Amino acid sequence: METHAQNIHQTFHSIGSSTDWIVMVVYFLFVMFFGSYFGKYNRSTKDFFFGGRRFAWWLIAFSIVATGVGSHSFIKYSAKGFQYGFSSTMTYINDWFFIPFFLFGWLPIIVYTRIQSIPEYFEKRFSPSARFLATILLLFYMIGYIGIGFLTLGKAAMPMLPQSFNIFGMEFHTTLMGVIIVIAVITGIYITFGGQTAVIFTDLLQGFILLFAGFLLFFLGISYVGGLDTFWNLLPTEWKLPLADFNKPPDFNFVGIFWQDGVAGSVGFLFMNMGLIMRFMATKSVDEGRKAAAFNILFMLPLSAIVVGNAGWIGKAISVAHPDIVPPNTSPDQIFVVVANIVATPGVFGFIMAALTAALMSTVDTLINATAAIYINDIHRPIKQFLKIKEKTQRETDKKELAAARWSSIIVTALGVVSVLAFKSFPTVYEAHGYFHSTLTPPLVVAIFLGIFWKRFTPAAVITTFIGGVALMILGAEYPNYLIAPFDHGIKMNPVHPYSYIRALYNLVVCSVIGVGVTYADVKIMNFVNRLRKNGNHKQIVIAFTAIAVLLFVFIVLNLFSLSVLLAFEVVLVVLVAIVSYYYIDYDPEAQTTGLTVWSIRKAKEMFKGRKLNEEEGEKVLVNWKLKKEEDGTINFSKRDMERMKAQPGDLVYISDKRKWLGGLKSIHSVYGEPHDEDGVVYISEEDLKNGVFIEGIQLEAEKEM
Amino acid sequence: MPSITHTWLPLIYLYGVGGIFFLIGMIIIKKSGALNLQRKRHRYWYRVLILGYFYFVAIHTFFTLIAIYW
Repeated sequence: METHAQNIHQTFHSIGSSTDWIVMVVYFLFVMFFGSYFGKYNRSTKDFFFGGRRFAWWLIAFSIVATGVGSHSFIKYSAKGFQYGFSSTMTYINDWFFIPFFLFGWLPIIVYTRIQSIPEYFEKRFSPSARFLATILLLFYMIGYIGIGFLTLGKAAMPMLPQSFNIFGMEFHTTLMGVIIVIAVITGIYITFGGQTAVIFTDLLQGFILLFAGFLLFFLGISYVGGLDTFWNLLPTEWKLPLADFNKPPDFNFVGIFWQDGVAGSVGFLFMNMGLIMRFMATKSVDEGRKAAAFNILFMLPLSAIVVGNAGWIGKAISVAHPDIVPPNTSPDQIFVVVANIVATPGVFGFIMAALTAALMSTVDTLINATAAIYINDIHRPIKQFLKIKEKTQRETDKKELAAARWSSIIVTALGVVSVLAFKSFPTVYEAHGYFHSTLTPPLVVAIFLGIFWKRFTPAAVITTFIGGVALMILGAEYPNYLIAPFDHGIKMNPVHPYSYIRALYNLVVCSVIGVGVTYADVKIMNFVNRLRKNGNHKQIVIAFTAIAVLLFVFIVLNLFSLSVLLAFEVVLVVLVAIVSYYYIDYDPEAQTTGLTVWSIRKAKEMFKGRKLNEEEGEKVLVNWKLKKEEDGTINFSKRDMERMKAQPGDLVYISDKRKWLGGLKSIHSVYGEPHDEDGVVYISEEDLKNGVFIEGIQLEAEKEM
Repeated sequence: MPSITHTWLPLIYLYGVGGIFFLIGMIIIKKSGALNLQRKRHRYWYRVLILGYFYFVAIHTFFTLIAIYW
């Protein structure tokens, strides 16, 4: 093992043996083969991105483990576990506060309104301009998230690699960016040929393997230090507490992390993370989505907390007992790899590293897939619509969009690599991720939240929240000691990375104040705009207002004046943006809130079905299928079976292969047609049979949806 | 013994401030009719939501106690 000192932290190279590398390569090949097998279930972009809305809750719940664990990675939680103890994983157990909003607000809205991306929601609820701004902010968020994933992957791989390679006599030094580029190429290849169904099944497999690998490491570590009692007694009391100290130190304190992760991060994760949302949208119904989300937060996240953090806790215990084996100044971001190598035998170490890196790749894959979905829905299709480009057939459109999706995946991967540069300077991945969440999520979090739960929230308010909020956030970043300090709860400011976490509170407050303020000033702004319209030069005046607003925004971004002047500019900017938004945007409060806020979920459900709801609770029935010749978009059951399901012609039905362990992979959604008299038989068209991948001789299970 | 700023204050803040968000969420989904307690399935979810909150309070309290006293 080679070691060298870098700053105050000791870093490692060439950890592991050739056996470990062989295990890793075999594991990766297996996972790629496994994923590409399920790629055949992608028949359109809908399947490529959403997996066809057909899966059972348990399949999605387990597939989310790899995404969640990957993104809240082994590396960063082990690092903080080594430095501060069990509280490193407190962010895994603080998501429940927003779950009512998600389960009964956002989840039914995204499913019933058939929204394919978050920006699309902004267009339906507010206006195309709101969609445009949301797309920009969301792309920043997603690409930044991909960058964090790549940074973590690079940091996980670095300790295993030598300091330099010698290929054909030429020496190549191992650099973090070099490693990240190689990883990005491998990740890009996989996602490009897989799609959402492949990702779901790969993640399902990896979810199980990750839990196994994490607990394996925990048990190996406990036995290495001499049993649970010894482990417990070696740790100082502070290391055993589940929550961090309230407001110190600046790089890891409870209150900052509560606002950064418990509030901004939780809402961001549940409401904005397209990768996760697409998983919930792949469940067969809203209720299954609720089960997947609740099960994940109640059971999988607490288990994952042990899985991801334990290497750091074990590392701390070893460093107390044997500082010669794990030096107390070991680089925190390397502690996972160092501990895994110490407690596991060759081959087992390779397996643990493979599980870790493959899970991280799953996270990145999911995010790349989701960002490509945003590109197709919010850039590609609107541009095609604008340019009036239309293919002759739906099949042709699907083919072209699939190709565009694959190209966009490649470009997004490259942008993700570039975004690593923004996070590289942070001492640990944890702080980089914290800073990222605090900075990029608040405007979107506030906009989505107020949009869903407050009918009165207007397009002018959302656009002003985006522009005015971002401007105030930039001022906060420039003058943290004046603007963020009042919110700091006594946290000391680190001048190099000021208020990495608690800035989330400031950012949330300023965005909320602007959004709520503009909404309450609604009537006054409207009256002003109406008076303005009566002026003969109103078009020129509004153009001048727009130009002034752009200029003020540039002044703020470039920090060209003193703080007091810039704050005055901010006030003028907010007023101007609100006026210009009211002037240009046509908004129908009734039509643009119906089915799009929590106050009209039932209406959304009716719109989804296209007719009156039938909420009578029926039973599930088992049927054999027969081919029907007509392609009328319906499937036909017997009168008696319809009666058992309490279904009427025109109601929606979900029918799947009866083998539960398939989790809905072979299934379709359809509409009840006119009944016949053959009990236990369903007539299905050839197209539906193909979509469901149903097999002759295997019974199907049918249930009424609504 | 660690100070209260490391033991009980974070827990009180977490479930106090977090609890306010949770309560607002419960009130909104009930008032809006998105959670309709007339329906059996929704009554089940209502119980899950409330129990979930106290389940996490119990986890944190338990680990704080054993960290201090065990």
